[in-house]
Amino acid sequence: MTGPGTMLALGILKAARPWLLWLIGLFIASLYLFPVYWMLASAFKSPSELFAAPPTLIPHAPTLAAFHWIFERENMYLYMWNSLLIGGSVTALTLVLATGAAYALARVRSIWMDGILVAIMVSQVLPPPLLVTPMFVIFRQLDLVNTQLAVILATTTRTLPFALIMLRTTFAQIPIELEEAARVDGCPRLSAFFRITLPLARVGYIVVGALVFVQAYGEFVYPLSLVNKNHLQPATVGLYGFVGADYADWGNAMAFASVFVLPVVIIFVLLQRRIVSGLTAGALK
Amino acid sequence: MVGIAVLFLAFFVGYPIVYNIIMSVQHVTLGNIRSFDRPFVGLANYRFLIEDPLFGVVFWNSVIFVAANVGLQFVIGFALALFFRLGFPGASFFRGLIVGCWILPPLVIGAIWKWLLASDNGVINYALKGLGLLDGKIYWLSDPSLALTAVIIANIWFGVPFAMILLAAGLAGIPDDIYEAAALDGAGSFRRFIWITLPMMRATNYAVLTLLTIYTMRAFDLIWTMTHGGPLDSTNIFPLWSYRLSFELFNFGAGAAISATMIVVVFVVALLYVRSVRSESRL
Repeated sequence: MTGPGTMLALGILKAARPWLLWLIGLFIASLYLFPVYWMLASAFKSPSELFAAPPTLIPHAPTLAAFHWIFERENMYLYMWNSLLIGGSVTALTLVLATGAAYALARVRSIWMDGILVAIMVSQVLPPPLLVTPMFVIFRQLDLVNTQLAVILATTTRTLPFALIMLRTTFAQIPIELEEAARVDGCPRLSAFFRITLPLARVGYIVVGALVFVQAYGEFVYPLSLVNKNHLQPATVGLYGFVGADYADWGNAMAFASVFVLPVVIIFVLLQRRIVSGLTAGALK
Repeated sequence: MVGIAVLFLAFFVGYPIVYNIIMSVQHVTLGNIRSFDRPFVGLANYRFLIEDPLFGVVFWNSVIFVAANVGLQFVIGFALALFFRLGFPGASFFRGLIVGCWILPPLVIGAIWKWLLASDNGVINYALKGLGLLDGKIYWLSDPSLALTAVIIANIWFGVPFAMILLAAGLAGIPDDIYEAAALDGAGSFRRFIWITLPMMRATNYAVLTLLTIYTMRAFDLIWTMTHGGPLDSTNIFPLWSYRLSFELFNFGAGAAISATMIVVVFVVALLYVRSVRSESRL
């Protein structure tokens, strides 16, 4: 038997359910994001606060000393410039190489195209640590070791298959009738592509470009092994120099990491929704 | 138009794969690295690896690392996907925050976790002490019996968001009226999960499991940052061993032999993945 008391309790529980779930959601998200928060908090702490026992959850006396140090003493500008240069070049090269091929893969239907597509999907998954040995030897023979060009070309092998698959999906969603109509009106095929199809694929390009950039920007294995000159290295290798040792300089390392991830965070905040849907489409279609 | 991109991939992906196989049956050192004419040694590189006492260690580390990551990322990702599907205010916002962690460079993740797990002043040791679970210190990354667990924890944290969004996309594809019909027939939420959700998710689950397996083999950056494969090779897995052979011991032939074998493994898993995805999209 349920008395009026339990009915009331059940009613309250039902009304409170969304807020209870909200609380649990907040807890899960906070717990999950804690490592990222800890990176930021540590970057703003002074060395004495960093090693205080017990640690302070919120920096009591926030300081920019670590940021000054990495920009003045650690060549943060140069590392960031190299990372942005490599990331930007890889993105441009990837999108240029992928455009024609992705379009053809979307429009031409044949058994050959199917075979090429499967080969591309498979080549997308080869991790750099497994390809880096032959890459190194090949770039050595081409005399490209110790150049950023080698890093850019090597990283593009990783991003190009991904971009091909994603852009193919984008082109496939644009109705071919639009191009056909333009061509009936006397517009040549190539200019129909540039004036009709490409503008319609704009959003796809932004998402793919952003994801390619993020991947290239975070690439570590190729620059680590193909380049051994410090002034050519991206910030990933610079960060590794900080934290690779047994006892790291954590305050400065976390400041370095915070500055380094800034472009990635900005891209994610601006494009969050589209990136999530783009990723799912790319992986499951 | 396909030509240029395919040529690029053929030269920079196809050629290295073939070249890698060739190198794996050659004696390649710093001395002859520039020449194409190197002594053929048959399967000596492979034999060298199998006879190395490290082989068994690296093999089991790799198996444990991949199995623990794939299993736990899948289960936690599934649980989170189900939770955020309950539809409450802020659900998609919180989920978005978690996805954000996945887009960070793996090297940064490794650096953060190395600091979280530091034995002196690491916040995780303090938290465990605060909860009364711990008296002294845990040497997460310098104790050979714990280091593998530590890098697995960090890599699970890194991989869960990806599993979660893919599984959430699969869940969103299940029509609501099936659940409503089952609820009318008196099926509770547990039975709806077993008899509707799991069967409807079979194709997605398959794709996600194969993808997670492939991505787990990419964990190089994270492990390299956190432990460099140590202490005493307790976190050494095949991609790290291959890298160390090539770039620290300059035994490029042996490094290539591991790569060649691993590439075959990745290929097989990738073909399973491609098959699952393509059969699904044809439905």
